Amino acid sequence: MKHTSVMTQEPGSTIACHECDLLISLPELEHGQTASCPRCNHLLTRRFLGAQNRMLALAISSLIFLAFSLTFPFMSFTSQGKEFVISFSDTIISMMLMDYFSIAMLLFFTTLLIPAFCLLSLIYVLISLQRKHFLPYTHQVLHLVFILVDWNMAEIFLVAVLVSFIKVSSLATVTLGLSFWSYVLFIICLVASLSLLDRYQIWRKVKLHER
Amino acid sequence: MKDSHRDNAEQNHQYGCPVCLTLNDMSHARCRTCNRHLHLINSKSLQHTVALLVTSILLYIPANLLPIMYTNWLGQKTASTIMGGVISLWEPGTYPIAVVIFVASILVPIGKILALSWLCISVTIKKSDSRRINVELYRLTELIGRWSMVDVFAVAILAALIQMGQIMSVYPGAAALAFAGMVITTMLAAMTFDPRLMWANQPHIFIKEK
Repeated sequence: MKHTSVMTQEPGSTIACHECDLLISLPELEHGQTASCPRCNHLLTRRFLGAQNRMLALAISSLIFLAFSLTFPFMSFTSQGKEFVISFSDTIISMMLMDYFSIAMLLFFTTLLIPAFCLLSLIYVLISLQRKHFLPYTHQVLHLVFILVDWNMAEIFLVAVLVSFIKVSSLATVTLGLSFWSYVLFIICLVASLSLLDRYQIWRKVKLHER
Repeated sequence: MKDSHRDNAEQNHQYGCPVCLTLNDMSHARCRTCNRHLHLINSKSLQHTVALLVTSILLYIPANLLPIMYTNWLGQKTASTIMGGVISLWEPGTYPIAVVIFVASILVPIGKILALSWLCISVTIKKSDSRRINVELYRLTELIGRWSMVDVFAVAILAALIQMGQIMSVYPGAAALAFAGMVITTMLAAMTFDPRLMWANQPHIFIKEK
């Protein structure tokens, strides 16, 4: 990947660096190029080949994997001949039953609702960009994506699953179910999709589309 | 590196929207592209960061002193704190997990609180010679903040998975709540900290315009 340190005097669209407030004239980037701030080295924008289509495809597959991960057993635990199976939603429900409603809500929002909402909104915006006229509330939806994306903790949940898996495996036999593998695929697609999301490029598309 | 006071958006009476990066005139109340409410660099941003930081320090105390998990093993009920969990995992075979938990629930929160406190102090006393390190510190804090949640999630999973009554069962403790609150407040503190404050006090920026 080529890396260009942007000169401040080049023609193009002017933006202020998100971190150090330096005024920068961004040139039109080629596919695969990256622009970073000449003063603080903050990554300003990246342009990928076919980013929109790849993002859309990954977001849709991610949602499908998420739907799958809700239906099958997530983890099972065998001790003294008895088998205990939990699904993904059981972690949230059991927290609620143990009077830890706030932890249940935290889990529900950060590992399920926010990632799902981000993916749905991203799909909505990307479809909206491909149409002749914008679908209603495109700006607001895209705005929400950028606010909520910081609160997505799906990949942290995955690490927590692995941690508890190893903790329990010394005491009893634990097996990871189909849902778990589906959740892994969901996270791979989610992370891949969100890594293609670029503030500057997508808002530029929205602006150009409006003209 | 050549940069005059004219190069900062603020000195040009312009403001870059934090959501869509569009450059707006300072007289505008809302961004012309995404309609976000615009607010300028002000001392309030620092106040919010400090307030959230103090909250997280206060929450960090019960998070470490109270038990995060109760284990019921053949009728015996034992409570374990975060540090206790790390120590009990420090056995042959589970070293990597002990390290993960230690880094995520002890090292990262302390490091984050210290880093944010240092950033707030260095911005207030207008110390600009350590800016390079500060910028890296800020980026690191934003990147790793969420990962402390691992312990809370692990407790939730264990409590859901291991429910066999008297034989073996796991229950969450009050520290889980305090710890989750601490992670959220440190995340909010890092988000409210305005990185432009680190650059706003460059000596040559104060050169008077003619």
